[in-house]
Amino acid sequence: MLGSLLAAPIVETWLFYLFATMAIVLAVGVLVDRVVIRSGFILIGVFGSIAALFLLLSAQFLALAQVMIYAVAITLVIVIALMLTNPRMEDDTIVEKAERMAGPAQFFLSVKQGFPLWVSVIIFSTIYVALTGEKRWPVSTEPVAQDVVKVLGEQLTTTYAIPFEFASVLLLAALMGAIMLAKNEKKEVEPTSSEDQKAEENLALSR
Amino acid sequence: MISNGNEIGKLTLLSIVWLTIVFVAVWMVTWAVGILLPMILSNSLGEKALLINEILCFITPVLSILVFIPINAMFMVLIERRALALFTVRKGPNIVGPDGYLQTAADAVKLLFKEDITPTGADAFMFTLAPIVFFAPSIFGAVPLLAAVTNNHALFQVLNLPTGIFYVLAAASIPVVALVMAGWSSNNKYSLVGGLRSAAQAISYEIPLVLSIITICVLAGTLDLVKITQQQAGGILNWNILGGGALSGIDKFLAGTVTGQPVGNILATCYPFSGLSYLAVGALIISTIIAFWLYLTGACAEINRIPFDLPEAESELVSGYNTEYSGIKFAIFFLAEFTNLFVVSSIATVMFLGGGDNPIPVWILDSIAPLKQAVALLNDSFLVQTLHLVNPETLFSTLWVILKVYSLVFFAILIRGTLPRFRIDQLMDFGWKRLIPLSLIVFIVVVFARGLVICHG
Amino acid sequence: MNAPNQLVLKREKEGAAKLAVFFVALSAALVGTYAGIGVDKVLTHHYDFWFCVILGGLGWAFRSVGGNKPVIVAATLLSCFIMLTFYQAPLLRYLILAALLFAMGVYGMCRQRNAVRVLMSIELMLNAVNINLIAFSKYVDPGQLKGQLFAIFILTVAAAEAAVGLAIVLSLYRNTSTVDMDRFNLLKW
Repeated sequence: MLGSLLAAPIVETWLFYLFATMAIVLAVGVLVDRVVIRSGFILIGVFGSIAALFLLLSAQFLALAQVMIYAVAITLVIVIALMLTNPRMEDDTIVEKAERMAGPAQFFLSVKQGFPLWVSVIIFSTIYVALTGEKRWPVSTEPVAQDVVKVLGEQLTTTYAIPFEFASVLLLAALMGAIMLAKNEKKEVEPTSSEDQKAEENLALSR
Repeated sequence: MISNGNEIGKLTLLSIVWLTIVFVAVWMVTWAVGILLPMILSNSLGEKALLINEILCFITPVLSILVFIPINAMFMVLIERRALALFTVRKGPNIVGPDGYLQTAADAVKLLFKEDITPTGADAFMFTLAPIVFFAPSIFGAVPLLAAVTNNHALFQVLNLPTGIFYVLAAASIPVVALVMAGWSSNNKYSLVGGLRSAAQAISYEIPLVLSIITICVLAGTLDLVKITQQQAGGILNWNILGGGALSGIDKFLAGTVTGQPVGNILATCYPFSGLSYLAVGALIISTIIAFWLYLTGACAEINRIPFDLPEAESELVSGYNTEYSGIKFAIFFLAEFTNLFVVSSIATVMFLGGGDNPIPVWILDSIAPLKQAVALLNDSFLVQTLHLVNPETLFSTLWVILKVYSLVFFAILIRGTLPRFRIDQLMDFGWKRLIPLSLIVFIVVVFARGLVICHG
Repeated sequence: MNAPNQLVLKREKEGAAKLAVFFVALSAALVGTYAGIGVDKVLTHHYDFWFCVILGGLGWAFRSVGGNKPVIVAATLLSCFIMLTFYQAPLLRYLILAALLFAMGVYGMCRQRNAVRVLMSIELMLNAVNINLIAFSKYVDPGQLKGQLFAIFILTVAAAEAAVGLAIVLSLYRNTSTVDMDRFNLLKW
């Protein structure tokens, strides 16, 4: 009785709106929060609520994988990278001298600064119009396969064996590449001169 | 001759008394809410009580966990302090209550009444959130284990998942985030270093841990914890630690020869490639024992116990990530640490040591007549028949689970009393250069050897 | 920092919070009105579009008066999302949620100057795609679950991408001691 109550469409809808609300609000937090590391921690919440949505979509395995890989591993690595790259408060706005410009130039500047917003609004409205205009989703009524892990495993080792192998090769390559990139190279020149060189390089870059 | 036999006796008595208190309390709560209350309700209300009863049955496991965790943590802290005192020839807590039995209860009360301080410059929200994120997975993560350790008891069946062990592992990986959160939000260098160390350590040691579990899952062919326990039923020869069921053919053969039933060609069906198969059996046994050891090592690192307690190394980092915590938040951290130790030991019990199965093979037990009579007597009694207070099968399996789990806990305490702490570079070297290759080798050996033997067949 | 300055700051903060709370109440009222209209009128008159435009304008107005920015943005997005999905089928709800998260990821990717934050936005976009795939695998292809398979591959690629991307960011940081995207202009002529 309780099970059927939980599976009722109305309960599912409420749960969907609950988790969707969490995902959207926390995603706004990720984008807006001025403390970089805190936004990294909020990202965990976004991934967690998306994992809950996966559970609603009866994708148990992927929800757990989402928690394990995204919400813990990737976000942790991101947070650690944020800590290593000297975090500080970010400025809210791009400081540019807008007052001294003429009217049209100011207008174009505001358009340029609002460019990301326009891009994302256009992307969203395009997708929305395309989705709602499409009437032919072949929605199937048959129940989801009971043993999801079994179905996934069988498909991964038969039909999709080659992509699976490629994924493992990709992971190996990414592992080696990440180690090579992040490794501290041994300094061949004596330390003082290399530091001078580095400072010069920094100057050149900041110019 | 044991010189401190007296102390050992005291310790044993203490654990027996406390364990009895813990489990009687938990079972009384579970029974009252899950069985007695629905019985009374359905007697008085009839049909209407159906939904209420289902809800009651649903919340019973969670309630039992909530009752169990604090009492159990109190017991485990006490036994840890007493056992460490025993190993280092000290007295240990022995003043509060009879022979120090109530020391940790007093400590708990003290912690709850301490002032709760948030340091200046700390991120207050994250600072409060961290203990909760640390504690919550140990409640929710333990839920699928319940059905496995209680021999699939009807009350706990609800919470069994087809992806049980994966769920437990996913839940066990969350606390790391909380440690980094606590370390960062405390606005303290020691805390930050502690949190970062715990993250690095957990990411490195999660790989051997998960690989050793996966080895067992490959042998069992399922992720369902209850199925894994049921496969291992029937004596020590069927347990996963001894080859993951590779010896079950021999077990059947022995059972047949002892009881005088026709054996047929069990050996030939279970070990189809004669010599090669027996070689594979040997390889499987060695690899599963290594996998068990790998699991224990990885788990020790995952829950930050000595010798892997670098995140809270007192001599270097004051107290690591929980330097700034006090009062109830510190209590929650403390509680969660000991609960994690318990959860990790129960995973080991379920995955490797056969859950609630008794180590003596069934064919030996069946030949003892008085035991059978005693069980039958218990079955017919008023307690079982009318009140459903005791379910004999669950009772015995729970006793075995308690024995196994607390032996592992005691083993962890023994290690804590014996081994010195690693250095951070030694820790990383040990993790990446020794444990991960070893676990990969074990995994590959098991995958190939499994084809030569019919396990759990 | 002197005392009056702090007082002014505090008063401003309180004012912003009040405005934000008022805006949240307003948007909730709008959503309630929208839900009461009924499905036929909404579809024929394109009320969903107009309500969203009104909400966006209101949010912009409140923000320019000085309301709390994160709360207003979140409330606007949330109520727009609820209005756009209220009369849709379950599948479309998930797809629209995924589209919204994707658009937010795009915004973050274009807007942020911290390289690690850009990577975070990319992860958000990948997750939105995963929602899409899993929704399709439940509602369109429940027997074979191809969507979930693709989601597994995306998970793998995302892990690899995060590792390599962060390694690049770290080595860039080591060489230039900054992670500001605008400063990586070595190739600018």
